[in-house]
Amino acid sequence: MIRVQDLSFTYHGAPERTLKGLNFEIAKGEIFGFLGPSGAGKTTAQKVLYKILNGFEGEVLIEGQPLAQMGKEFFERIGVGFELPNHYLKLTGKENLALFGSFYPKEKMRKTADLFELVGMEDAMDKKVEAYSKGMKMRLNFIRAIMHDPDILFFDEPTAGLDPVNAHKIKAHIVKLKNDGKTIFITTHNMNTADELCDRVAFIVDGELQVTEAPATLKHTHGKHIVRVELTDQQTAEFSLDGLGHNPEFMQFLQKGDVQRINTLEATLEEVFIHITGKALKEL
Amino acid sequence: MKQLIRLSVSDFKLIFRDASLRTFLFLPILIFVVVIVVLPLVKNKFEVVAEYIPFVLIVATIEVTQMFGFIYAVMLIEEKEMGVSHVYGVLPISKMGFSLMRQVIPVLITILITWALLMTQPFYNLPFLSTLGFSMLSGLIVPPYALGVSILCKNKMEGLIWVKVFNLIVVIPVIAFFIPPSYTFLFTILPTHWAFQGLNHLILGEAFLLELGIGTVFLIALTALTARLFVQRHYA
Repeated sequence: MIRVQDLSFTYHGAPERTLKGLNFEIAKGEIFGFLGPSGAGKTTAQKVLYKILNGFEGEVLIEGQPLAQMGKEFFERIGVGFELPNHYLKLTGKENLALFGSFYPKEKMRKTADLFELVGMEDAMDKKVEAYSKGMKMRLNFIRAIMHDPDILFFDEPTAGLDPVNAHKIKAHIVKLKNDGKTIFITTHNMNTADELCDRVAFIVDGELQVTEAPATLKHTHGKHIVRVELTDQQTAEFSLDGLGHNPEFMQFLQKGDVQRINTLEATLEEVFIHITGKALKEL
Repeated sequence: MKQLIRLSVSDFKLIFRDASLRTFLFLPILIFVVVIVVLPLVKNKFEVVAEYIPFVLIVATIEVTQMFGFIYAVMLIEEKEMGVSHVYGVLPISKMGFSLMRQVIPVLITILITWALLMTQPFYNLPFLSTLGFSMLSGLIVPPYALGVSILCKNKMEGLIWVKVFNLIVVIPVIAFFIPPSYTFLFTILPTHWAFQGLNHLILGEAFLLELGIGTVFLIALTALTARLFVQRHYA
């Protein structure tokens, strides 16, 4: 669906490149995540892909067609959920959607009331956006991105500013969009969001991709292949996952007392990030 | 056409829902009152005022132009400040076409108000079509004004400073009327110089087509240049 080869980008007047020779592919119906700290180049990469930044080096192909040659019809096929809320504050939520929706073919548009209901904002659609909370504005961002049923979706920090309940709603709908065959490109520095949503993730630091892989594979590869057992009397022991069911020491340990917890020691995505890049997200 | 109307309705909703911009919409009424009511009274009382009437009319027309230039400049700056401009950047539209289309209604309104002002002022009988020509020239000042201010600033605070600068640039060629003719060439680099000189000739019943032509070409070229820069900077 999307193929990126040797993508580099330098902002006008900047001393060095923001993106340095990125290579990756996103398959149709895949959720692909760009993970990295602020300033790593995540948003810039997205901006190049949704054609708001021109003058890049390398090649970006959308279904085999060079992005640079695509006209305004490309924008009918994409939806963009921006990192920060960006609406006309003096217009109502409904008026905002009606205005921006008027630029798309009518037959592609989803019903406004359904969209507001989807994010639990049916009572707020006729209120001016200036009266919305940040979370509500972010949900309005989300439904604006999907209102014209695009094939390709770009979300920049899709759960930023949302409470856990609404973040869950948005994530669930992103998964539904993927199940409907949409291709989704997420950028985030939230490892939990990436872990929950993405089929594959790419770590980006200082404009360079460090690794591209499925989160489960990364966690498995970089984690310990062992299980830790904790008993209620504080005793703990670790056993290799290989042949665990036939390990007499493991069986014996289980019988020593009441089991409080059994965990596999796979790495978290954040630990994998630190391991691969040698940097913690908060340091950067 | 449908899109233009829809967009204009939204733009006017934004203007009417903003107290400061809404106030600006009433500026033409004030200008009409000054030109049609106050100025004749002043002229009757102080005869010396009579020779300055053309200059007052010229400044009055430029004030009308500044009104919509200012309103749209502020709207575009707000769009940029709030990030709404990025949303337009990913819509299936021609950015250049859209940026210019958005100026159509303010230009038309400016033309209409300027024309009405010049036709209703009680001092000179101005020809219908020629007056319309100069009204169009005044209307053409709006796009480079609004787009130019928006290009040059990052936020409303900077915008207000640039508005002051633009207001000065727009009005400054009026000085050409008060200095020796050999120095008026200094103002030819400003498009409003041609509008002012032409309108003055029209009021005095002299030939004005050269100024009208140069002014029109100048402003169209300036609009094209500012629109190009605006597209590069506003949507990304």
